[in-house]
Amino acid sequence: MAKVSPFALGSALAIALLVSITVAVTIGPAEIRFDEVWRSIGSHLGIGVSPLTELRDGIVWQLRLPRVLTAAAVGAGLALSGAVMQAITRNPLADPYLLGLSSGAALGAVSVLLLGAAVLLPFAAFVGALLALTLTLLLAGSLGAITPSRTVLAGIAVSALASAITSFVIFWSVTGDSYREVLSWLLGSLSGARWPAVAITMTAIIVIGIPVMLTGRLLDSFAFGDIQAASLGVNVSATRWGLLAATALVTGAMVSVSGSIGFVGLILPHAVRLLVGAGHRALLPLSALLGAVFLVWADTLARTLFDPREIPVGIVTAMIGAPIFAFLLTRRKSST
Amino acid sequence: MSVLTRVAVVAGVSALALSGCAAAGPQTAAPSPIDSASQPVALSNCGFDVSFDSAPERVITIKSSTTEMLLALGLGDRIIGTAFQDGPVPAEWATAAAALTSIAERVPSEEAVLDLEPDLVFAGWESTFSADGAGARADLTSLGINTFVAPSACQSSGQPAKLSFDDVFSDIETVASIFRVDASELIADQSAQLASIDANGAGRTALWFSSGSDTPYVGAGIGAPQLLLETVGLTNVAADVDATWAPYNWEAVVDVDPDFIVLVDAAWNSAEKKIGVLEANPATANLSAVKAGRYLVVPFAASEAGVRSVEAAASLSAQIAELDG
Repeated sequence: MAKVSPFALGSALAIALLVSITVAVTIGPAEIRFDEVWRSIGSHLGIGVSPLTELRDGIVWQLRLPRVLTAAAVGAGLALSGAVMQAITRNPLADPYLLGLSSGAALGAVSVLLLGAAVLLPFAAFVGALLALTLTLLLAGSLGAITPSRTVLAGIAVSALASAITSFVIFWSVTGDSYREVLSWLLGSLSGARWPAVAITMTAIIVIGIPVMLTGRLLDSFAFGDIQAASLGVNVSATRWGLLAATALVTGAMVSVSGSIGFVGLILPHAVRLLVGAGHRALLPLSALLGAVFLVWADTLARTLFDPREIPVGIVTAMIGAPIFAFLLTRRKSST
Repeated sequence: MSVLTRVAVVAGVSALALSGCAAAGPQTAAPSPIDSASQPVALSNCGFDVSFDSAPERVITIKSSTTEMLLALGLGDRIIGTAFQDGPVPAEWATAAAALTSIAERVPSEEAVLDLEPDLVFAGWESTFSADGAGARADLTSLGINTFVAPSACQSSGQPAKLSFDDVFSDIETVASIFRVDASELIADQSAQLASIDANGAGRTALWFSSGSDTPYVGAGIGAPQLLLETVGLTNVAADVDATWAPYNWEAVVDVDPDFIVLVDAAWNSAEKKIGVLEANPATANLSAVKAGRYLVVPFAASEAGVRSVEAAASLSAQIAELDG
């Protein structure tokens, strides 16, 4: 398959993201016209007066817009973290949750949902994710130098433990239909995304995500192994620690508001690689853009496909994403 | 065939119930055995064939709806253990309920069930009959233990297309037929109470908020919530969803701005907690029902089809009258 110019793809994705956000926010169970939606948003930005009643204005400003923006940020963050994780562990199956992050976050979230721990859910999920990551790195470090395979194996051990505790908590304390809330969180859902979620995820993208996007050249040097990277003047250990910590913070922030949305972080970096090649300078920002566009639409489908019922977006990402990825794979096969 | 069997049984019981009516005293709660019903009662229950050669003597009830069904039929002395109760029983059955033993806070294990040597396990949810729950129905049957699910709660098959009070009363009659007792008095009382309910919610809308926070889990178009709302004249905002309960969407709720919000009150998810959810979400905090506090509260156990359905509808109507002032 002919490679696409990274610049052309980047421009196309950036435009697609703007169009997607503009359009997605006008779609929903309540019928509100395109111009009404945008005049309502304008009124909150100090331009003109909202044509909508207070309640319908709330639909646009309190439910739809924060949710669409959160979807974009989470999609970008997960795809970026996935791409970085795949590079520093040199493992094509790596995803943002590899080092126990999602299991740790799930344990934190379930503790709040079921045991009624008196903290905010995103905070508990974030702390859970970071605790799991710390445990993973401590375990990997206790085995000697932190190598990719040791880190991955330590992550598997920590994940298994955290999942077991989560399952135990669910099994022990779930009552009536509260398991539904837990399930929705475990499958990944953006239905609770309001402005605080936008603030959390956007801050993570801007403060950590964008600097990480600029480390492409560094990651390219990792592609051929630690020794080669060191011979190019890269401080392998410090870089790996730093990037692991950075992606963990991004992923922790994302998982804290959305639960563990699968597929985005694992597959989208591969899709971008199939289109523009494996160079990380293009891969990182393009993965983030594609992740944002993808999750905006996946979440729009999640909330409208069975309108007025809702399904967790994690189901949608896998259901649409898997066939698209299979298609990309077959295209590559036929051209090589 | 299975449907025919059930219809035949129910029709037979109704006829017997009518003939037994005169004999029963007006206020007796004690079961009045029907001699002529000594032949086996065979029926298809959620697509599973069950047969009762004689009235069950040792019953385990799972979920409050089943315990209360037996208490209402005066069969409390047949219950050897209860499990997964949703809350205290209403005052009218409190004395009988005081003697009951709870064997598990939630679904009991199969071994805990077998340990009591019951001849019937009567469950309010079909899902409790599984190998990792109270035991699969076929397994329990092979050990000589009958199983029964309130027919309105069937999931696999046999669920009413849209629940009506005829279904609720038919459930009561079916259970009475299994125990060879007369339900006519109970049903007559409930029918009379049902007929007296004022449909004072007419022309107004309501959301049945069962649980959830980010994604509300609501009473939809074909189950007990829809039946109770219809009975008091209210239009369910989720009436078009073809399900008993379903995950819904706050945007659709805000779009309708319902006149009333029904809150299901359970020990594990109280009505107050749900009010907190509604007030914390900036979009739902502006709903007129939230701002004016137009909440109707239903205890969890009364929100499932059964002997408390009529009383729950009456309570909704009374709460509407109170809010209307």
